[in-house]
Amino acid sequence: MTNLRLNNVRKSFGSLEVVKGVSLVISSKEFVVFVGPSGCGKSTLLRMIAGLEDITSGDLEIGGRRMNDVDPSKRGIAMVFQSYALYPHLTVRENMGFALRFAGVSKDEINRQVDDAAKTLGLGPLMNRLPKELSGGQRQRVAIGRAIVRKPDVFLFDEPLSNLDAELRVHMRIELGRLHKSLATTAIYVTHDQVEAMTLADKIVVLRDGLVAQVGSPLQVYDDPDNTFVAGFIGSPKINFLKGVVESSRKGKLAISLPGYPGVKISILPTETHVATGERIVVGLRPQHFSPTGTIKFNLTAELVEHLGGESFVYGGNGAGELITVAMQDGRNIKSGDKFEIGFDPARVLLFTEAGSRIR
Amino acid sequence: MRNGLVHKIGVNAALAIASFVSVFPFFWLMVGATNTSAEILRGKTSVGGALSNNFQHLTEQVSLLTLFYNSSKISIIATVLTLIVASLAGYGFEIFKTRWSERVFAALLAMLSIPFAALMIPLFVTMAEVHLINTHAAVILPSIASIFVIFYFRQASKSFPGELRDAARVDGLKEWQIFLHVYVPVMRSTYAAATIIVFMANWNNYLWPLIVLQTNETKTVTLAVASLLTAYTPDYGVVMVATTLATLPTLIIFFALQRQFVQGLLGSVK
Amino acid sequence: MAKATASRRDTMMGWAFTGPALVLLGLFLLYPIGYSLWMSFQVGKGTNLSFGGLANIWRLTQDSVFQHALLNTFTLLVVQVPIMISLAMLLAVALNDSRLWGRSLFRTAIFLPCVTSLVAYSVLFKSMFALDGVVNSFLEFLHVIEQPIPWLADPFWAKILIILAITWRWTGYNMIFFLAALQNIDPSIYEAARIDGIPRWAQFARITLPALKPVVLFTTVTSTIGTLQLFDEVNNITQGGPSDSTLTLSLYIYNLSFKFMPSFGYAATVSYVIVVLVAVLTFVQFVAARERRRT
Repeated sequence: MTNLRLNNVRKSFGSLEVVKGVSLVISSKEFVVFVGPSGCGKSTLLRMIAGLEDITSGDLEIGGRRMNDVDPSKRGIAMVFQSYALYPHLTVRENMGFALRFAGVSKDEINRQVDDAAKTLGLGPLMNRLPKELSGGQRQRVAIGRAIVRKPDVFLFDEPLSNLDAELRVHMRIELGRLHKSLATTAIYVTHDQVEAMTLADKIVVLRDGLVAQVGSPLQVYDDPDNTFVAGFIGSPKINFLKGVVESSRKGKLAISLPGYPGVKISILPTETHVATGERIVVGLRPQHFSPTGTIKFNLTAELVEHLGGESFVYGGNGAGELITVAMQDGRNIKSGDKFEIGFDPARVLLFTEAGSRIR
Repeated sequence: MRNGLVHKIGVNAALAIASFVSVFPFFWLMVGATNTSAEILRGKTSVGGALSNNFQHLTEQVSLLTLFYNSSKISIIATVLTLIVASLAGYGFEIFKTRWSERVFAALLAMLSIPFAALMIPLFVTMAEVHLINTHAAVILPSIASIFVIFYFRQASKSFPGELRDAARVDGLKEWQIFLHVYVPVMRSTYAAATIIVFMANWNNYLWPLIVLQTNETKTVTLAVASLLTAYTPDYGVVMVATTLATLPTLIIFFALQRQFVQGLLGSVK
Repeated sequence: MAKATASRRDTMMGWAFTGPALVLLGLFLLYPIGYSLWMSFQVGKGTNLSFGGLANIWRLTQDSVFQHALLNTFTLLVVQVPIMISLAMLLAVALNDSRLWGRSLFRTAIFLPCVTSLVAYSVLFKSMFALDGVVNSFLEFLHVIEQPIPWLADPFWAKILIILAITWRWTGYNMIFFLAALQNIDPSIYEAARIDGIPRWAQFARITLPALKPVVLFTTVTSTIGTLQLFDEVNNITQGGPSDSTLTLSLYIYNLSFKFMPSFGYAATVSYVIVVLVAVLTFVQFVAARERRRT
């Protein structure tokens, strides 16, 4: 069931266009994450859905109704802000009931609904405190509580965890995921943090320069990126991009050499896209997909090694080609300066044109 | 190290002298209120016995009750109206910026330097035409839209979090409700600081009230002090008592709310 | 965060919020300033005015009292403003030392004069500087002077008295702005300078002074405007005397309008002299500040 639909939505500030035509369908109860680097237009898009920014052109529908010109409070949305935006002069209880108060709901009814939401979030003992008397995590929870009280059709989250410290962020992330399951409401979540995107989303929307770079489930976006931008943005440490040249292309079967690594030959089984012999391409190798058993062999010298305990990141090269990042589960004996051989499974190689689009 | 000590003593001595010079006139004022005019002009710096006499002479010449009532009435009404009008404008200029509003604001800032002397004649003529001379409205009306206070509130509004406004809009508040129920309570300390500055400015105002208030029934404390002082042979004992009474409210406000007072002064440049 | 664009609704809201202030400013600032401009071309006494063209400007060039007032105002400006600003800055630097004993006491004391009304401190200065008054007695006691100084009766000393009075009232006020600016300087900059072995005087010249430049500009501009409008003090301490030695432009305008047979047209012309002076001096100070920043 469709809950929210964007149709070629655009936004300009003066002559500067920041959202350049986004079309998107979001189903009921889906958890959608907008992710991308700063300036990609993800927050602006969210604020347009909320009604805090005008839509320059295109259509926004929520629950089948065109909402372009509807007041924010009448769109059936609730929003959790980056700074939490709690009213500093109001207690937790008053903060949570503020919207209902201005909607003309009776005092008893407000109290009942606020108490319900407070119970869900375990806010009971904090109800009469002011925001300044709360910790960061508690404020965050109140902000979510304030959104829940309004019983929205769509929750909007604008980088809600970015002001928390690392430990609390993980904790709140898990709590948010649980909450979404229990409330079963559509949620749109904006973040620049790919871990939040991967862990929370049913559907990830990767944005770049005001355009959708790819839409898909977290694993789709990771395993099967549409372009170098998505491949580079999702996954940590960052995917290796090596320059490649097509040696031969027969019936979609490619033989590729790497100018930076003369000894390495890569053969790929039939591809859908026609690639000409001699064409320059980009070869993407995820650091995690290196293994001793892989058939594409690299002989590398470790230049820098980071031991994280559980795994090790080795930055290796051959003196000529690009530096390659390799994630190893059992690399704790490697020191910088060591020579080592590592393999790569050809089935996991991601190929891109020089312009950045995927060769499948 | 010895050099440091000399430096330290020098700095302390300089500050002590500066403090003495700053505070002595207040001491002089209080002591003066207890001395006769002749003693004051002779430079007597000890407490005398003329206080009740001076006070009695003062009450014979002016009605203290009327003066304080007039000063309080003008200062309170003007302060309340100034805060309302100027904070609305400061908020409006900052939150609803357009190219045109920015131009208007720049023009206002340029007008900040127009001296009052250039306005007082036409203002006086206009007030006379609408028969407002010798009314308190004539004092209050021109003071309400203070560019300085508008500027102060605009600067302060820069620290008003935009997300708070967004949250209020999502919560269904209209613009005037956001102003009244979110901005005003959140900016309480800004209002407190502005209140002090504006109140003191009105209480101490001299030139314009001097022009438009010419009857004893409408005069303010400040005007009364000035007319006692500029009399042909001023009785300084009486003047000192009057000045003490006129300064007391501002002194009390200053000591009670020193932090907000300083914050109010600084608010406009931050 | 994206800057909000001005939708039509927002634009209307903006004018709704600023409207009351703008209407009042139109009535009590814009209208009078225009009226005043019109008046400055009128000649005649009282309300019996007629168009005189540039007659008032011609009168300015012939009016020795006006020229005297202009000269007085400039003298006060040139002598008083630099003294006060330097004093305010020095006091602020001295008070900014966090190890200083009695810091807040000194600060409060030096700041105290600004709570007095201009009229109240006129009372104080007029009485303290009487011929046999407390100041002369004190100076004689210190053997600084042999004869009492005729503060109120001598043209030269009367000017000095006005300068002392203004400096007393406004130094602490200006000092507060310097103190605030000093407190905004990141102390780790001084720590870095100490580690780099920068001598104290160089720290002051290269770190402190540049940080204070905007405050110097602000306080100079506001003090200049204040001095050009000087009225309350001279009207109450000296009434512009003796023999017009402390007559300021504002006081002269007041006298022209309300003391003698009112001559509103000419007074308006004099008031425009102040407007022009303020504009020119403010502009010069801003340009000077920008030039200095460039070098």
